[in-house]
Amino acid sequence: MIHIEGLTKRYGERRVLDGVDWVQAAGETTVLFGGSGCGKSTLLRCLNQLERADAGRIRIAGHDIDPAQAPAADVLRRLRCGVGMVFQQFHLFSHRTALENVMEGPLHVLGRLQGEVRQEALDLLSRVGLEGHADQFPHQLSGGQQQRVAIARALAMKPQVLLLDEPTSALDPQLREEVRRVLRGLAEEGMTMLVVTHDLRLARQIADRAAFLDGGRILESGPAEQVFGNPVHERTQQFLEEVHS
Amino acid sequence: MLQIRLLTFLFGTLGLLGQDLWSEISRKGALRWGNDAEGGAPYIYHDPVDVSRLIGFEVEFAEALCARLGLRSEFVQNNWDLLVPVLGTGDAFDLIIAGLERTPENLARLSMSRPYFAFGQQLVVRSNDLALSSLDRLKDRPVGVLSASASQRLLERHGGVRIRIYQDNVNYFQDLELGRVDAVLADSPIVEANLPLHPQLRKAGPFLETGFYAVGVRPTDRELLRRVDAAVEALLEDGTLKKIYSRYGVWGPEQERLSAWRDEGLAVRQRISVWRDWRVYLPLLLRASVTTIWVTCGGMALAVLLGLVLVLARLHGPTPIRWLAVAYIEVFRGTPLLLQIYFIYFGLAQQLGLRLSAGLAAVVALGLNYAANEAENYRAGIQGVPQGQVDAGLALGMTRSLVLRRVVLPQALRLCLPSVTNDFIAMFKDSSIVSVIALVELTKEYQIRAIDTGDYVGLGLMTAGIYFTISYAASLGARHLERRLRRDPH
Repeated sequence: MIHIEGLTKRYGERRVLDGVDWVQAAGETTVLFGGSGCGKSTLLRCLNQLERADAGRIRIAGHDIDPAQAPAADVLRRLRCGVGMVFQQFHLFSHRTALENVMEGPLHVLGRLQGEVRQEALDLLSRVGLEGHADQFPHQLSGGQQQRVAIARALAMKPQVLLLDEPTSALDPQLREEVRRVLRGLAEEGMTMLVVTHDLRLARQIADRAAFLDGGRILESGPAEQVFGNPVHERTQQFLEEVHS
Repeated sequence: MLQIRLLTFLFGTLGLLGQDLWSEISRKGALRWGNDAEGGAPYIYHDPVDVSRLIGFEVEFAEALCARLGLRSEFVQNNWDLLVPVLGTGDAFDLIIAGLERTPENLARLSMSRPYFAFGQQLVVRSNDLALSSLDRLKDRPVGVLSASASQRLLERHGGVRIRIYQDNVNYFQDLELGRVDAVLADSPIVEANLPLHPQLRKAGPFLETGFYAVGVRPTDRELLRRVDAAVEALLEDGTLKKIYSRYGVWGPEQERLSAWRDEGLAVRQRISVWRDWRVYLPLLLRASVTTIWVTCGGMALAVLLGLVLVLARLHGPTPIRWLAVAYIEVFRGTPLLLQIYFIYFGLAQQLGLRLSAGLAAVVALGLNYAANEAENYRAGIQGVPQGQVDAGLALGMTRSLVLRRVVLPQALRLCLPSVTNDFIAMFKDSSIVSVIALVELTKEYQIRAIDTGDYVGLGLMTAGIYFTISYAASLGARHLERRLRRDPH
């Protein structure tokens, strides 16, 4: 489902990604973690082409991406329809209600009909536990509620892969659990997810595999219990200790 | 006691000031006369040979008058429209020598000397318009006149034609040639001086009315008036006037009336109370405000649309287009609106033969000018929409233009609405500037009526009331719109 080879991205002189290789099967949930500035978010943004890598190959949700050339508009559209994204800061459209946020993609990108889209969007909102909040605007919702709307908005496109960029880190600790619960449900249903997070509780709950990113490379990866419980690499141990303390 | 003495002293001084202007003048040895150098040939204009020097029959008359009084001549520049009120309130000049007509309207506001010049009201038309040779044949057609002139009053009394009011003596001939007006009514010297420059124009019929120019002084300056009267009479008798006027080609048989002139005591018109006659003046002002409103609405509509094109070009266009948009914005923001109006109304007609009507030119000028502001307002609004929401839109598979349409612009509109409303209200007031191209909007109507009646305060309050009512209604409307756009109040 996701196949990355030698992905490299430079900002000026600095190599943010320095030859990342990663393979992830359909139905798998993996967690990427690492210190700030290690390239985690950049990696996600390269996967759905919000940023273009400098070198390497990406194959995701059936699309081949060659960083050397700008993708054609319709390739880009199909890629992004197949790869959903959830942001740390939610980025809901603040002039639209929760329901309208969820309906926006299917209506205006996929060109589907109002009636069926509306019903699906209402179902998605109840699936993330927000039945009664369809007509509220983002600023009327708590952070946890906003993030759940954002997840519903991404799911409305029926993506094959979901990319999540620190989905719980902008939330107060007591609001994180409601988002974790939703993501746990998705993992159990077999959604393919690549999650960047420092939230180790979330990681333990949903991750099949985990990878530690450091200096633009994957330093260590393996089954989640092993990477979190018994990391091999010294820097991984160090990082996990710092996060725990 | 002290207060009473102080008051007596003050009034005494004021009285003295009035009485004593002549001795003040003779002490200084200089007479300051007000006129407007924009008046043009043959009255007062810059010598084509030496452009730093003012010449004209009024300049030479003023100099001869001063010489006769044993005084130095000192010219003071003042907007022609406002010469009389400025003389009345200020100390900018001692008297007015500026083609001021000896009419009941003027005599109601100031004292006037015996006439120094006789003129006739001459109708001018295009040579090929054979049918349009009298006012009656010009029914419902546009006729140009000088603002606050005897010609304007004549047309108002006569009725039937569409009066187009100009700020100077030159532009209406040009507009007559261009077909923007079908006739011009002007004082004979203006016609004599300008017809040679416009071979396509001709005089139509005899003088409609005759009149005199006289020197204007404050009613309190009786001694000055007496001496001016005597000096004018002497200049007439010794042939000085004839010599001066002949040099400028304005000595005609009508000047014989100068020596025959006797003060018949023109019925001095009473000062008018606009409050008592509000039924007359309020509708006049309201009618003029219709012009203000449609010029503003048209200009703003253009500005809002063109501003959008400009901001999209600036933010999302290819490089050369982006530069063009930036250049447009900077040029239109960096040059005066007045200049742009002249350029669009006169410049385009002269250079490209593009003859916009005054109304259209006003709308275009205001629109082009404000488009630059609106583009900057939109830019602030667009940049106020968080980049994260743009990413979120792109991540949903939206194209850049769909993101712009669905995510950025609706929110940018909400963000920039207050500044666009501000601009609307500012344009509403700025639109008074279009009176320079012969559009009578609210401020111009106020100016004309205030000069007529002398009631600057009463008419001013009425006019301000109209401006305020409309501005306030506009801002209430905008606030309502803001609330509707912002269904979610941040």
